[in-house]
Amino acid sequence: MKAIMNYIRKEEWSPYVAGILLGIVGILSVLLTNTLLGASGAFENLAGMIGDVVAPQAFDNMYFNFIMPPGITMGVVLLIGIFFGGMLGAATSGTLLWGKKGSANPDAQWKRIFGPQVWKRWVLAFVGAIILEYAAGIAGGCTSGLAISGGMFLAPSAFLFIMGMFASGILTALIIYRKRY
Amino acid sequence: MTNFILALVFGVFFGFSLNKAGLTKYHKIVNVFRFTDMAVLKFMMTALVVAMIGLYALRGLGVLTFPAIPQTYIVGNILGGLIFGVGMALTGY
Repeated sequence: MKAIMNYIRKEEWSPYVAGILLGIVGILSVLLTNTLLGASGAFENLAGMIGDVVAPQAFDNMYFNFIMPPGITMGVVLLIGIFFGGMLGAATSGTLLWGKKGSANPDAQWKRIFGPQVWKRWVLAFVGAIILEYAAGIAGGCTSGLAISGGMFLAPSAFLFIMGMFASGILTALIIYRKRY
Repeated sequence: MTNFILALVFGVFFGFSLNKAGLTKYHKIVNVFRFTDMAVLKFMMTALVVAMIGLYALRGLGVLTFPAIPQTYIVGNILGGLIFGVGMALTGY
């Protein structure tokens, strides 16, 4: 029991152990609620809710009426859970940076490549997130909703997505890092 | 209602496992594209294999039926993946 508690307190688990945990969560999700784990769809549900209030005409289209209906869906609740789960994980290993100095841009490797400015980090995160969400909308899911949840059922779409993701990810990293690659 | 509570619990475990595998850190995500740290792939593939075995075994036993799996649009999936990779390497999502 003590060994287990000590392992939970470790900052970094073996990825195999963490992967087994996620796999079990994925099985239970299908078994108990008959839904897939997905994160990116929730943002679209929330955006649809806001859009319905702000500009109802612009949001009255096929996509928001049928494919991603607005509202508090299971995905939204899951997303809230993911947020607090991540915090719990950091808290148990004592690495939670909430409100601490330097928490706005804590990654040493990021600072080495892009510089220590906080605004740069936030702008890049914002732009990158727009690209991510747009791409997830085209592909029909993100890493969790399509690659992992689809892959569990051996869906061809998941493996096509992973192929594309790695091809362009490697290329982008090459461009950003150049000689430091 | 129980579904929502379950979704919250799953979310907590999901976030917890992501954090413990280090996937909430920028350098972990980018280094998989630089081939210097393969934790992301190890994590994803382990989760896939465990879930595959469990799901197909449970279906074989007749305990569960598969929900609608993500549909295949060859162009959409690949194009989405290509754009997604750019954002992933930039942001470290």
